[in-house]
Amino acid sequence: MLFPKEMSEVELIVPSKDLVAVAKVLSGRGVFHQVDSSYLGLESLGPSTWQEKAGSLSAMERRVQAIMQSLSLPEEYPVKAEVGSMVDLDALRPSVDRIDDEVKGVSDQLSAENKRLELLESQLRQIEPIADVKVEVGALRKSSFMHSILGVIPSANISRLKTSLLRVPHVFFTLREDPQKPVVWILGSKSNSDVLERAAKSAYLNPLSLPEEFSGTPEQITELLKKEIEVSKKKIAELGANLVGLASTYKNDLQNMLWDVHISRVMADAIVRFGQLRHTYVVVGWVPTSELETLTTRLKEASREILIETMATSRSGHHTQVPVALSTNKWLKPIQMLVGTYGHPSYGELDPTLLMAFTFPLLYGAMFGDLGQGFVLLVLGILMHNRIFMGGMQSLGLLIAYCGASAAFFGYLYGSIFGFEGHLIEEYLHFHFEPTWISPMENILSILSIAIDAGIVILMFSFLLGMLNNIRSRDWAHLLFGHTGIAAFIFYICFLAMLGGFLGDTALAPKVAVAINSLPLPFTTLLAVFGIIVMFGGFFRNMVEGHTLIEGKGIGGFLMFLIQSLMDLIETVISMLSNTLSFIRVGAFAVAHGGLSLAIFSLAGHEPDFGFWVTIVIGNIFIIGFEGLIVGIQTMRLHYYEILGKFFHGGGMHFEPLKLSPSKEEA
Amino acid sequence: MASGVSGYAAISTRVRAMYSDLLTPQDITRLSDSPDFQSLAGALKSTPYGKYISGLKDTELTPRRVILQIRQRLADSYSSVVQQAPEQTRPLIKQMYRYFEVGNLKAVLRSIQTVSSWNSDVPAWERVREVLFPFGSFASIPAQAMVDSGNIASAVDLLKGTPYEATMSFAMKRFSTEQNLFPLEVALDLDYWRGLWGEIKNLSGRDREMGAKLVGSLLDLNNLMWVIRYKIYHKLSEEELINYTLPFGYRVKDEDVRAIAAGSDIAAVVSRIYPNITDVNMLLEHPQSGLPKLEHHLKQQVMRQCISAFIGYPFHIGLPLAYLILSDFEVQDLVVLIEAKSSKLKDEEFHPLLLKTNMIQ
Repeated sequence: MLFPKEMSEVELIVPSKDLVAVAKVLSGRGVFHQVDSSYLGLESLGPSTWQEKAGSLSAMERRVQAIMQSLSLPEEYPVKAEVGSMVDLDALRPSVDRIDDEVKGVSDQLSAENKRLELLESQLRQIEPIADVKVEVGALRKSSFMHSILGVIPSANISRLKTSLLRVPHVFFTLREDPQKPVVWILGSKSNSDVLERAAKSAYLNPLSLPEEFSGTPEQITELLKKEIEVSKKKIAELGANLVGLASTYKNDLQNMLWDVHISRVMADAIVRFGQLRHTYVVVGWVPTSELETLTTRLKEASREILIETMATSRSGHHTQVPVALSTNKWLKPIQMLVGTYGHPSYGELDPTLLMAFTFPLLYGAMFGDLGQGFVLLVLGILMHNRIFMGGMQSLGLLIAYCGASAAFFGYLYGSIFGFEGHLIEEYLHFHFEPTWISPMENILSILSIAIDAGIVILMFSFLLGMLNNIRSRDWAHLLFGHTGIAAFIFYICFLAMLGGFLGDTALAPKVAVAINSLPLPFTTLLAVFGIIVMFGGFFRNMVEGHTLIEGKGIGGFLMFLIQSLMDLIETVISMLSNTLSFIRVGAFAVAHGGLSLAIFSLAGHEPDFGFWVTIVIGNIFIIGFEGLIVGIQTMRLHYYEILGKFFHGGGMHFEPLKLSPSKEEA
Repeated sequence: MASGVSGYAAISTRVRAMYSDLLTPQDITRLSDSPDFQSLAGALKSTPYGKYISGLKDTELTPRRVILQIRQRLADSYSSVVQQAPEQTRPLIKQMYRYFEVGNLKAVLRSIQTVSSWNSDVPAWERVREVLFPFGSFASIPAQAMVDSGNIASAVDLLKGTPYEATMSFAMKRFSTEQNLFPLEVALDLDYWRGLWGEIKNLSGRDREMGAKLVGSLLDLNNLMWVIRYKIYHKLSEEELINYTLPFGYRVKDEDVRAIAAGSDIAAVVSRIYPNITDVNMLLEHPQSGLPKLEHHLKQQVMRQCISAFIGYPFHIGLPLAYLILSDFEVQDLVVLIEAKSSKLKDEEFHPLLLKTNMIQ
């Protein structure tokens, strides 16, 4: 859970005769992440025949899919689909050709008839707006003094077209209002015909192509067109019925063909990426180590002569090419989603999901501590998770439930229930409920100090996790001199000691910092020494990694280096201070929660009448919705800015195993 | 206000985090100091783009491939923002993202038009896919099938059911008579920006105000450059110029576009709209070199608007929009750098084209 699944690199040498059987095992298990190893093959063998085969299979798959589409059959696989051997295309082709020819004959006729119907309907639509004009259609084009343009135009272009003709005398009619294809008629003098034509063309006005084979008035042409349309529709219905018949006849055959071709194509695609030697193939990929034994057994069953070499890849060191498979747990899904928004862990890097599953509700609860409101959030979260209420937010249900439980727990510690605290509980709710730990409203400075202490502990822990990650990735330069490395960590400790010394007598002083300050260590000297190390961290990192020590040449380069180093130090100090003080918001929000409740009470008045309780209920709904959300943002912000950045880099490659059929989620 | 806060709480936090990951002008300067393309690619690995490039093998480390990977980050930013944006603003972000699909569509059409002059050994699709924006699951156009179709008419037929069907069906009538992609591309552009403006009009309150400001500024840039270019290079008539431009924007008004179309002094109109751009007359004297510089100035105006969106009340669509626009400009800067380094251009030849480094001057 703490780290991505351990992966093993697998290299297989497969005899040519067992190629398909092995490809079937690799594709069928859904645990093998293939790496393109075609470059390991012998170039002298020329292009792989599998490439051609994969292409043919892919074309055949598309062809079967196209036939199914023509028959309006869903692209489904047979109910009892089994992984058979590689399909023989030569054997399959005649059957596909026969069905294709039969279907194509009907569907070609259908599409030709559909096109004809479309043309007739379009002609009818074109002529309808001028149906009551009692003139011969041809006369519109034969005027001696007027230039006329009748056509269809995108509705969005009409106003622009009118604007473009503002300086030209003309008449503009919209003959048919249509959101998509309005019909317009522009009439102007013959002398402006070129301007009118240019404007119409640039506004994408398509002149109507009125049917020349029909003569007479628009009314007469409309009648003829309607008759033709009726005939065409009847023919389309007949052809459609023929296709339905073909669909029911060939449904099972096509589904079986699609499945056979699909699995063969997936296997062929995988084989294309194998390295081809003279009599064998090289296969390289990654498998979760926990699945390795089962896969190896299956591979050996498929090929007795297969050579299998496996290398468990340690999680230490840099492994950018190792795919990262994360353990999935339905209870941690919402937390994984939050982490995923920040980044995908790289191999060997600590997966912060578990840590965040602890700290996220903790910080949320500390800021929103209220037994009653927390319980409401808990119930709300459970209802959302089970899609009983606000099902659209199901993915956040569990997160809200965890935060609610934590808020309820802190509410118990703070002695707060639906905003009632201290004497208000006895006065209005008639029972006794004391804070079991601390009341934020009555101990404002203490709660702020505790919040900073908690922040210091979390930050130190994050520093340690960052170092752990550096050790695991053997990044010694960053371990020693990085922004979250050992030098920076010691500098932070010294910085805290100074802070403790500075605030020692005040109520706001963080106890951890004061305790560090009381240790018998020369913190001032250490601060100066490690300050210099942090300042020149880049220089030291370059030294450890064997890079050029100072970028840029000459005195200018050196000066720039000094300025940059000084800025680095200032930035580090500012970020340490701001990161530490950032956690003060945890205490501040705990106080603000009490303050907001008091505001509701002052609105509600003193008498516990109906109005009082209505105000309290509305106020609580407001607090849960408004403050609950803001606290959520603050919690997220603390994690993204202050905590995760210390040790989590992300950027890992997703584990994408070969699969014969898409999973339910993908489907 | 509550709806603004509740809707934008998560996304404004996320966008601010992503905003802090954008390259600084100093980063761009450092990258531009790389002596050659290989060093630039190496330097990019230590930026937030590193994780997109580090997976490439040495043989794959070509300028085109690196540009593709860099664009992948922009695509991821869009996906992330689309997923987290409040429901009512998603159509706007999706429409804005569609800008890259419109670009892909134009690239596909251009490739079909020119494919006959290519080396026939390499499949056309293999060459085209490298220059397309990695649109991923948002894509609605069947790009490969279009390229494979081999002619514009069949390719456009494949757009049935996509958001481009209606626009293209009108424009195809002109293509079939003129055999020129210009009307198709103009129609796509106009439709895209009209759609985007329409989505802004569907918003309300501060979202609408910020959307109009940021997207309007981008639209100003395009509208102004269109009318100037069409007038100077294509010598189009007044009515064509009006029909090929749009009547809305943030600072550029319809009267301005119409004034240029009617023959007013372009420099005077531009100076009236953007008084802080001082040398417009000089730029227009030599349009070949001056217009790219003018476009550069206008882009910087947009950048300033975007940066100012991060100051003040944060719970509105302005932050995500500004971040996405700035990310796009950053990618444009990186593309300039990659092209410049791989073509071994001198610093003074490409430095003026960088948006970020010139912002601090």
